[in-house]
Amino acid sequence: MSALLFERSSDDRVIAGVCGGIAARLAVDATLVRLVFAILALAGGAGILVYLALWIYARSRRALPAAALFALASAAILFALGLSGTALLGATLLVAGLVTVLAGGGSLRPGGSLPRLGVALLIAGAVIFLGRHGASGDLLAPGAVAGALILVVGPWLWQLTVERAERIRLQERAEVAARIHDSVLQTLALIQRHAGDPPRVATIARRQERELRRWLYGSGVADAESLVAALADAAADVEELHGVPVELASAGDAALDDRARQLVLAAREAMTNAAKFSGAAEIAVYAEVGSDAVSVFVRDRGTGFDRAAVAPERRGIAESIEGRLERAGGTATIVTTPGSGTEVELELPRTEA
Amino acid sequence: MKPRVVLVDDHELFRAGVRGEIATSVDIVGEASTVADAVPLIRELDPDVVLLDVHLPDGGGEGVIAGVAQERPAVKFLALSVSDAAEDVIGVIRAGARGYVTKTISGAELQNAIERVAQGDAVFSPRLAGFVLDAFRAGEPLGGDAELDNLTPREREVLQLIARGYRYKEIAARLHLSIKTVEAHVSSVLRKLQLSSRHELSRWAQQRRLV
Repeated sequence: MSALLFERSSDDRVIAGVCGGIAARLAVDATLVRLVFAILALAGGAGILVYLALWIYARSRRALPAAALFALASAAILFALGLSGTALLGATLLVAGLVTVLAGGGSLRPGGSLPRLGVALLIAGAVIFLGRHGASGDLLAPGAVAGALILVVGPWLWQLTVERAERIRLQERAEVAARIHDSVLQTLALIQRHAGDPPRVATIARRQERELRRWLYGSGVADAESLVAALADAAADVEELHGVPVELASAGDAALDDRARQLVLAAREAMTNAAKFSGAAEIAVYAEVGSDAVSVFVRDRGTGFDRAAVAPERRGIAESIEGRLERAGGTATIVTTPGSGTEVELELPRTEA
Repeated sequence: MKPRVVLVDDHELFRAGVRGEIATSVDIVGEASTVADAVPLIRELDPDVVLLDVHLPDGGGEGVIAGVAQERPAVKFLALSVSDAAEDVIGVIRAGARGYVTKTISGAELQNAIERVAQGDAVFSPRLAGFVLDAFRAGEPLGGDAELDNLTPREREVLQLIARGYRYKEIAARLHLSIKTVEAHVSSVLRKLQLSSRHELSRWAQQRRLV
């Protein structure tokens, strides 16, 4: 409606300054506006009626007489175009409906209410107008009804969508804030308290980095659902418990079923051994999901060891790694020599054994 | 002679850290924190190696490469990232970077990577090697250049060992090759990665979300 909030022009006027005012408001040449009014005036005097309507509105800001004059002007135009009386009735109803809707809260803009009378008038007007006018009335009438409905209900629906999107955005924002608070801020506090203990600070920072990374780029769920996610969890745990960085690389991924879980547990044990006994500064883990097998390699550049020299009561390797893989239908190979590090190779066929 | 290096990263703290770690073995001739600053700087300084952050406030590292490569084809780019997202990594490699390492890399290994890239070799982190193996998975029907679209068994083997955390020297010993041959295989993989029209590459990189 803001386009109607014009003032009559006092310096650019021929009759009452209405055309000048509109031209100033719409930022077009006043002559153009006058031309439009002149042409409309030829259509059964409609231009004159519209001019009067706008004049009244500009003087008194009273919408009703202006609207009535508008309706009359529309009728004049339609008559000039050679429409029947019935079509005119339909058109009048249409205009009346529109006016009612606008007067009832301006709901053509989002946020307004929906005056039922206005909607009813619009629909009735559309049906009559298009039903009686032209040979394709049968086709047009439903379209006109739909059009009228969209015109009135559309902005309201749009408003709903916008609100919904806004709500989702706010919710996401709240989640991010909660997440940052729970993890990053807590970690920063921890780091401040342990400022004198660099290895501990490094471990805390690294764990936080992993968590944040998983949240940003991963599935966002707390419990790992894939093999690689579960390995990342295991790597993070080992890192935190033993303070040795674990680098994880992978090609492909697989669902975390029971057998894959056994594989992850065995890999975790291998990482723990490397962290505890090898003395290596870093552990490399690589998982490859092929079409017929899943392989996990856990490698360190540490001291290595002699299998024969491991005390028999130390059951870690035999039970937790080899035994576990065997039960799951896979194989574990441990390659190590004193002084050149260790690589544990775990392989699990993908088809059920 | 020390390689001349330009450092492009928007985090001042990170640049300071890298400077401290590698200043003894390389000659850091310039620093920039945006694509807009980096492009004219690199054109002017003509360094041997640009250490390039994948993420910059006014566009990616790809933008820097695109702005420089035409005029200064001899400048080598080594991408550094905390992101590890496959689409970023593959994107910057395909744009022309000769290697990719994570920002958590140790100072000594970073120096090593810079020297390697300065000599024209390729540098793959274990993670990038995993990406590439995944992206070039065998068995897919191909429409393009078969030579560029597939890895040879030997290249696959080398990449797998890189992914498992082996250094070039260790790979050479294990496969009974010379280090030069290992480097040649990695450079060949880099070339395929940059030139292959294999559509799975981009699709794969987009779909992939790394943990």
